[in-house]
Amino acid sequence: MAYNITTWGDVKNYQTNCYRNYLFAPGGLRCMGSTWSPLAPLKGLGDDIHVIGGEPHSASAAGTVPAECREDIIAAETGGLGFHSCSYLKLFVGEVIRDKIAITDKTIKDGYPRPDVIWTTHLCSQHSKWYQEVSRRLGGVPMYAIDMIGGGNAEKDPKIVNYVSDQIEAGIEWLQRVTGREFSDELFVKAVRNEIKVLVLWGNICALNMHSPAPLDERRLIALFPPAVVDRTTDESVRIYEKLLKEVKHMVENGESVAPDQRFRIVYFGIAHTYGHPEMARILRDVGAEIVASVYTFGTCGNFKGIVNGKWTWEPIDPAWVDELDLSTRRKAITELSKIVLGWPTWQGVRSYWALEEMAKAMVAEYKADGLLLAPSRSCETDFRNGYIAMQRIFKNQIPTIEYDTDQVDVRKMDLPGAQRKTELFVHLMEAHKKGGA
Amino acid sequence: MEKKGRDAIIERFRHIAENTPEYVRSLKEKGRLSAGYMCTHVPEEILYAAGIVPLRILTSHESQAMTRGYIHETYCSFSHDCAYQGLKGDYDHLDLIVTSSSCIHMGEAFNVWVRFAGFQDKSYLMQYPHIIHTKPAGGFMAESFKQFKEFVEKLTKRSVTDNDLEEAIKVYNHNRRLLKRLWEFLRHDRPPITGPEVAAVTLASQVMDKKECNGMLEQLIERLEAEPGQAAPGVRLMVTGGACDDLGLFDLMEHLRYDTSIIFIDSCTAARYFWFEVPEGRHDKLEALAEGYIGKIPCPAKDTVPGTGEKKRFRFVQQFIEDFKPDGVIFLYQRFCSPQPMDVVALKPIVDKLGIPSTELELDTTVPKAQFQTQLEALVEIIKGVTP
Repeated sequence: MAYNITTWGDVKNYQTNCYRNYLFAPGGLRCMGSTWSPLAPLKGLGDDIHVIGGEPHSASAAGTVPAECREDIIAAETGGLGFHSCSYLKLFVGEVIRDKIAITDKTIKDGYPRPDVIWTTHLCSQHSKWYQEVSRRLGGVPMYAIDMIGGGNAEKDPKIVNYVSDQIEAGIEWLQRVTGREFSDELFVKAVRNEIKVLVLWGNICALNMHSPAPLDERRLIALFPPAVVDRTTDESVRIYEKLLKEVKHMVENGESVAPDQRFRIVYFGIAHTYGHPEMARILRDVGAEIVASVYTFGTCGNFKGIVNGKWTWEPIDPAWVDELDLSTRRKAITELSKIVLGWPTWQGVRSYWALEEMAKAMVAEYKADGLLLAPSRSCETDFRNGYIAMQRIFKNQIPTIEYDTDQVDVRKMDLPGAQRKTELFVHLMEAHKKGGA
Repeated sequence: MEKKGRDAIIERFRHIAENTPEYVRSLKEKGRLSAGYMCTHVPEEILYAAGIVPLRILTSHESQAMTRGYIHETYCSFSHDCAYQGLKGDYDHLDLIVTSSSCIHMGEAFNVWVRFAGFQDKSYLMQYPHIIHTKPAGGFMAESFKQFKEFVEKLTKRSVTDNDLEEAIKVYNHNRRLLKRLWEFLRHDRPPITGPEVAAVTLASQVMDKKECNGMLEQLIERLEAEPGQAAPGVRLMVTGGACDDLGLFDLMEHLRYDTSIIFIDSCTAARYFWFEVPEGRHDKLEALAEGYIGKIPCPAKDTVPGTGEKKRFRFVQQFIEDFKPDGVIFLYQRFCSPQPMDVVALKPIVDKLGIPSTELELDTTVPKAQFQTQLEALVEIIKGVTP
């Protein structure tokens, strides 16, 4: 029988409260930026910081109020953004243009809440341009983008770690200047430890899917990681993931799973699309095929050991390691934060094709995959599209592999019938491969 | 009839720009080493100082489907076409392929060369800041350049001295100054050279041995300075946008039903390639290079001033508008490019405010000539106030 996750309520409440605070909190500081921004520096400014991240907000809004979000995308295109631009970006900018915002409890608020600062990163070619456009449309918002140069083994390269750390250090000075607030190293260090802890805990939860049956499927993974992307700096976020880790460990010990029928184990590369298109998940579910590992759910806000002795591994990091980290000075805390965010798997393939391949090879092997599903996102500039066509070329002789196009939130860009046919073929290929025929 | 003087020099430049693989082979026959590069954020001076001729990988505008099996179709046609150059083997004579971490689409083209076109053991991917206006970026760049220099020294089995670097910096700066002088002709009411001709020379300069290029440029400028302007003044068009090495498109812009002149092209295949200099005579040559490259007109993919989010390129564009006085602006970008059209959204209101009509052209491997012609003529009619 399928297992029901009891921590789910905590997860959902946390996510919704974060968004409600951003929308409705009477005071405090509203901060906006990419998911992939180190958040702890903002928390050094006080305990009344309300954050909203571009990608998670767009993803969850699209899942909650799809019709509204389609209007946002069209508004952004009417406002001049290209059809091929990132659809997360367009949805987000569309809300600014329409001067209304929708959140996960289905609240649609008229009047877009203006951020006090934009604190973000620049990774793909349009990452910070997203917020330049938001700032322009809101008449100018102080904005600081951190160049997250990465790829491959960045978190172990002192040159890159120093570069990112220098920018964060300068960014903290900037934050103080533009907000007029004094920066508290005490609050900052606490937030750094929480941020790192959550990332490590989520990595541990994902790694439990190496077991058979895998305790979590792709849809649950997607549903359970929002606190880690929305605001991972709080004591509450740490508590939620400690509780979740304990629960998932218990599931493994008892051989339980949210989707117990697992004839085929799939490794998936691409942004989530099965929640927007449950038809796709249903084809797999009906034949007992489950996505048990994906770089998106694992690596957007989870950390793993990464490259060890020249080879990538998805083995988790011991959470106790976080408690031992020396964060006794601001610089030390910044450096540890830089290392952890540079180590996010989703970044590795953006600028480094070999890292993407290494991650795929390791995931296929460590999660004992029967098939590799590649679903490049048509409007994504990062590694949710980079290298995928070549990966198919590389993996097709080793393991059943298919590729079909998706898009993160723009349903117009998905060829659903074509993708369904490919998925059915994929199932047949895995069946034949198991029987030794393909 | 054989062309003489300026025409012969321009024709030679254009031939090189349109037949780069042939030029690479000729270098090989002379015993020269050559390196292809895929983004202008590569310090060519380091290669040149080591005796390697850097050449930009340009496209052939052939309709082809080969690259669809290697790169996703939603990468721009320029990156597909550059990947195609590697796959079809026209550049097998190159000794090295190099790029910097810049535009993601071109990164994919580079990956194709490395993984599938036989360049696995002769490639270099340089770490390069994605935001180039920060203080930390300068130090990061200098360190990256040092690593690149060490790689090049290993490749060529020779050390690159400060004198070698200084000499290369001077040769390159000289080239930049000559190109600038050439472009300055287009400010005149009756320039002795056309926009498409200047574009062809600039493109050729990106694939040539700079000393040879400088020699030809000096001859050309000498002749042009002695000539009176020849072109009738037409509607002055400025192009701004992304990579475009399709010289036929620039020819089209000057062959409409109305008299038109291209007076400036702000793109990485034109002015953004050379509109900067590297400080000479500095003690630390790599820091000097970093300072020079930070001063470039930023590629939209790297253009975010920390603290304000300002796009620094817009300052340059406004200065070019002031200096070159266009009557109309053409926004040009590759289909599927993300950063360029994102800039148009913000730049167009500025151009509108200045009262300059504009239009947008979206590029693909081959261009729809008739549609573009209609679109451009419509722009000119708006400028001239032609009533239907």
